[in-house]
Amino acid sequence: MAAARLSVAIWTLAGLVVLASVPLWANPGWTYVAGLILVEGLFCLSWNLLFGFSGIATFGHAAFFALGAYLVGWGLKGGAPFLLLLGGAALLGAVASALVGFVALRRMSGLHLAVLTLALSEVLFIVTGNIHALGGVDGMGSIPRPVIHFGLVEVSLRDSRAYFWFLLLICAALALAMWWLVHSRFGRVLRCIKQDAERAAFIGVNVARYRLAAFVVAGAIAAVAGGLSAPWTQIVTPAAGHWVHSIQAVLNSLLGGVGFFWGPLLGTAIFAGIDLLTRTFAGLSEIVVGGILLMIVLAFPGGVLGFLAAQRSRRQQRNAARAGVPASMVAKEPAE
Amino acid sequence: MSMQDIFALVNGLTVAMSIFLVAAGLTLVFGVLRMLNFAHGGFFMIGAYLTFTFVQSLGSGLTQFLLASLAAGIVVGVIGVICDRLILKRLRHLDESYMLIGTFGLLLVCTGAVKLVWGIDYYSVSPPPEVSGILRFGQVMIPKYSLFIIVMGLVVFFALEFAIHRLWIGKIVQAVANDGWMTGLLGLNVPLLFTGVVVVAFALAGFAGGLLLPNQSLSPELGHAYTLNAFIAVIIGGLGNIRGALLASLILGITESMSAYIVPAMPGIAIYLAMIAILLVRPNGLLHRGVS
Repeated sequence: MAAARLSVAIWTLAGLVVLASVPLWANPGWTYVAGLILVEGLFCLSWNLLFGFSGIATFGHAAFFALGAYLVGWGLKGGAPFLLLLGGAALLGAVASALVGFVALRRMSGLHLAVLTLALSEVLFIVTGNIHALGGVDGMGSIPRPVIHFGLVEVSLRDSRAYFWFLLLICAALALAMWWLVHSRFGRVLRCIKQDAERAAFIGVNVARYRLAAFVVAGAIAAVAGGLSAPWTQIVTPAAGHWVHSIQAVLNSLLGGVGFFWGPLLGTAIFAGIDLLTRTFAGLSEIVVGGILLMIVLAFPGGVLGFLAAQRSRRQQRNAARAGVPASMVAKEPAE
Repeated sequence: MSMQDIFALVNGLTVAMSIFLVAAGLTLVFGVLRMLNFAHGGFFMIGAYLTFTFVQSLGSGLTQFLLASLAAGIVVGVIGVICDRLILKRLRHLDESYMLIGTFGLLLVCTGAVKLVWGIDYYSVSPPPEVSGILRFGQVMIPKYSLFIIVMGLVVFFALEFAIHRLWIGKIVQAVANDGWMTGLLGLNVPLLFTGVVVVAFALAGFAGGLLLPNQSLSPELGHAYTLNAFIAVIIGGLGNIRGALLASLILGITESMSAYIVPAMPGIAIYLAMIAILLVRPNGLLHRGVS
């Protein structure tokens, strides 16, 4: 167990170092894409906290992302302090998701919940597209990159490298916090509810409260992801909250593997690659993405990580069989 | 009633019937297969594009237009057989959210195929001469094409009602919808019936695409737009319920056209607000009871 924990720590650290070095060797275009992957990855991780670990399928998660993005974008244009705005985005996301969750989670599940969240996000999409102060359909452009004041010290994030590192810091901190949450008692209760809500209730778990808590955490983190994206892209459009963006989170998570904590992040990176490779061919990108999606759902429901894990355990079993160890003695790989 | 009210009502009925034409097939598939097909709007769009192509070679009369729409329906129905065999059959046993995601993948494939075949330009088609122009009732002016859509929506509704409630095949479909396993025990070919329902629903989608073609500009975004409204109608109406889908479509269409006068600042929002309100009061939809 200790060794496993150590290897997780080493892998995390190695990943962070590689990501942090991106602005040093990659050109600004690639750095920009890497920053987008970080923000989208955080957004997808928060969606998968609901789908993969709590069994709640929402199709309107981008609404929270858009709330955060608009709040931070609007605040920065007005000259408000950035860290305060990020905190405000988290609060706004938490309050909004608490309201939605309070009304919707108790009453419905499955398809109805999926379509209701989709409709709610569509309402936000239409509203943001019609508010002139937020730029209407064209969105809010020329959002400045912030300068953070710590008493006497000033940290300027105007340079895109500096902002990238800040982005990485916050995304990593929030992702690790979610990782910790998923592996804590709270996360175990959520997984228990996902497997069988009725039994969970029977052994004394307050199912509604736990599901609501997960919904609020996911909403707040999605809003922060949106808030982080606003100064990075320097423009926020209503498309940030469109249902297609919500579904993108679904696609990314499934491609990477919803049963794995880091699956959504991997999926986001792979999708970004597919997008870059196919974007010049109108029509082809949809066919490729749609085809991949169908293939995952029909053949590899575990996503890329699920496929790799299955391959690995098969190899271990084969090796064990060769060495004469019965298959039942071979340790199964844990889910994450 | 002022002239404006009547105009809004006719407009609302037109919107309602165009939603219903798409929602009918969607709810039929759900009633029998328990699958909410995200790709339905995609096949609706393919029907519209096919009709567009057929009309160009057939000419622009009403008969030619109806023939073209029917032909599009048949072609999309054939595509339905292929999709059912290759994809839907395998999706049927998965979890609800995986079905949604899988059929969304299919919608993307439809959009991509349309872009590859017809390009990304916008096209528009004017209604056939017999149903274009305006009817005057004294002060009131009603577009003939609106009346055409309303009539076609009613025709489709009554045809489905008759088939499901009065015909032998309808009883069998109801039996499958209620209990597929038991129906199989009684010696009916359930997989064949499933395929049959999928074909009818797809053909309806294609036919509806043709009928509604002159109502809008033809673009690869069409599938997305109609999918959402039809989804909402099906969910509000009670999943798998054709009468419910008609009722929900009427509510949505009239809400939408009235709201254009009440809150003109936010076009399109009324449908969603109506849906949210109805679902909060009746989470399982207005008429919740299998195929009926």
